[in-house]
Amino acid sequence: MNPEYAIEVHDVKKKFRIFYDKGNDLKDRILFRNRNHYEDRLVLKGISFRVKKGEAIGLIGHNGCGKSTTLKLLTKILYPDSGTIEMAGRVSSLIELGAGFHPDMTGRENIYTNASIFGLTKKEIDKRLQEIINFSELEDFIDNPVRTYSSGMYMRLAFSVAINVDANILLIDEILAVGDANFQKKCFDKLREIKAHGTTIVIVSHALGQIEQICETSYWIEDGLIKQSGTPKIVHDNYLKSMELKRTEQLEKQHATEQEKKQESEKTASVTQITEKLPDFCEKTAIRMGTQEIIFTDVQLRNMQNQKQYIFDTQEKIKIFLQYKSSNTGLKGNFGYGIFREDGLHCYGTNILIETGECIPIQKQGELEIIFQNSLLPARYFLDIAVHSHNGIIFDDIRQVISFVVSSSKQDIGVCRLESSFLWR
Amino acid sequence: MINLCKELYAYREMIFSLVKKDLRGRYKGSVLGFLWTFINPLFQLIIYTIAFSFILPSAIEKYYLYLFVALIPWIFFSSSLQGGANSVMASQNLVSKIYFPREVLPIAYVTSCFVNMLLTFIIIFLVVACSGVPMNLTAIFCLPIIMLIEYMIALGLALLFSAVTVFFRDMEHILSIITMAWIYMTPVLYPLETISDSKIQKLFYFNPMTSVIIAYRDILYYAKIPDFSTLFIAFCFGIASLVLGEFIFSKLKKRFAEVM
Repeated sequence: MNPEYAIEVHDVKKKFRIFYDKGNDLKDRILFRNRNHYEDRLVLKGISFRVKKGEAIGLIGHNGCGKSTTLKLLTKILYPDSGTIEMAGRVSSLIELGAGFHPDMTGRENIYTNASIFGLTKKEIDKRLQEIINFSELEDFIDNPVRTYSSGMYMRLAFSVAINVDANILLIDEILAVGDANFQKKCFDKLREIKAHGTTIVIVSHALGQIEQICETSYWIEDGLIKQSGTPKIVHDNYLKSMELKRTEQLEKQHATEQEKKQESEKTASVTQITEKLPDFCEKTAIRMGTQEIIFTDVQLRNMQNQKQYIFDTQEKIKIFLQYKSSNTGLKGNFGYGIFREDGLHCYGTNILIETGECIPIQKQGELEIIFQNSLLPARYFLDIAVHSHNGIIFDDIRQVISFVVSSSKQDIGVCRLESSFLWR
Repeated sequence: MINLCKELYAYREMIFSLVKKDLRGRYKGSVLGFLWTFINPLFQLIIYTIAFSFILPSAIEKYYLYLFVALIPWIFFSSSLQGGANSVMASQNLVSKIYFPREVLPIAYVTSCFVNMLLTFIIIFLVVACSGVPMNLTAIFCLPIIMLIEYMIALGLALLFSAVTVFFRDMEHILSIITMAWIYMTPVLYPLETISDSKIQKLFYFNPMTSVIIAYRDILYYAKIPDFSTLFIAFCFGIASLVLGEFIFSKLKKRFAEVM
């Protein structure tokens, strides 16, 4: 092993045996032989990476991609089926906090038990005891039994022991969410300090921001392979983009099945209640009212290429395409729309009278396009559409006529995007 | 092998703290607490004395002592075997979450049983002294040797069965039947001479515990130095048990976390 490196992982493969119905005892094994069917699932399909001494890396990926398995292999809880793993120095893992804590023993006694599980001798623990107690901020409670602790105190004590082990390699699994904000910050600062002292760190986390703050390299694991590695920020952006893509696909699918269901339920419903039937372009939940002197015959959301679309990007322009017919051509109509977020928040609304100061003369049949610059942030939204007279008589008004989804790969939050630029001097 | 010893040495504090936890936890919450370690065997002895003097008088002189000096080592052995077999399974949450040499678990369990036996020996010495049986000092010096040999046998079997139990949970129940039968295959309750057929008597020596129990009784009841051959046979069994136990354990331990 090259002395420059602390961890060398070479082409590691790991499979798990998944039993459909596991029989662990003799009776089950003999009587239900066919129950012993199992399937070998390849969780890691050949992972290689190297970590330099004093470097910190992050492992990211969606649930079940194999990142925690990788960490368990590094800890030597699991062993690879093929490939090699080499580690230089003492390894401490913050995978399970408070291992071996006994509720009836005092905090102090539990420090000894817990630290001994990390392979520390009594002398080494004696040396660190004060530091551990100080770090946990539990000076007043340290001689009380651990069962009297709150869960936050418990985790604080456990974290303090684990982080004070003085390992050469520290493995961390999703546990920087310990205690209150203050303590979290303290943990994070401590982690930085440990790193500055030359400890190699491997973090598995969904908190990408934390990885970006502390790690030099990020490994994106997908389906048991390293999909991308490099500067955390860049890897994470790609990762988020792919996650978003997956989510969008799922939404599309969901939308498609919903549409199918709608059509089906309409088929059955049409037998019983023809009068209340909503037109095809409406969502099932739409509410319609008005005198019906003017009625909408079609409502669509389109992109600028005039294609019907369901999912829009935050910065995309959206076109509302309307068709109407009227029995009375002498009228003037005030067309308007409104957008509500799924949770009921009224995001926006306007009409032609507000925008231009006048109403549109109504023909027997007509079309109208409303184009707006979308700046809404990712969520599901509903469109309301209405045509009134200039003095407020409702001709046709359909609430929640169409739903649509906004997605974005940017991580900004709120209701809508306020285009921002940062200047510094 | 050397690596394992080094690692176990590094983890010695874990073994100590597990032993301590086990010994203290055993009588936790009871009023007399740790005293039960002594009260239990003491009353066991008193009951045997009464039972075998009045209800079931035995031809063997001071049968209660004859029985007691063999029974205490036997209890250490059988509890190590049964509890030790369960020791890895009982710490599932540790094994599946944290790395440490897995041997620590059976070692700690057997050691805590061993310490328990040592404490009970205080009672044994008291009783031996009171009963008027002469004490042979050179023989007493042999006691640690035979204890160590018994520890090796017990640990080897605990390693073996604790690893097997993880993959085959029935082992625990099978073992409780085996230990039940084993006590009758060992001269604990009766002298080996009771068996008239000399061929069967020889068969008994294939049982590693036979030599061990005979050695204990030689030292404490007959106050004589045990035969060298008895000790040698026991020692060979000890080594064999340890080697076999660790061999199987090291083969199986890598897959512990996967099946838990």
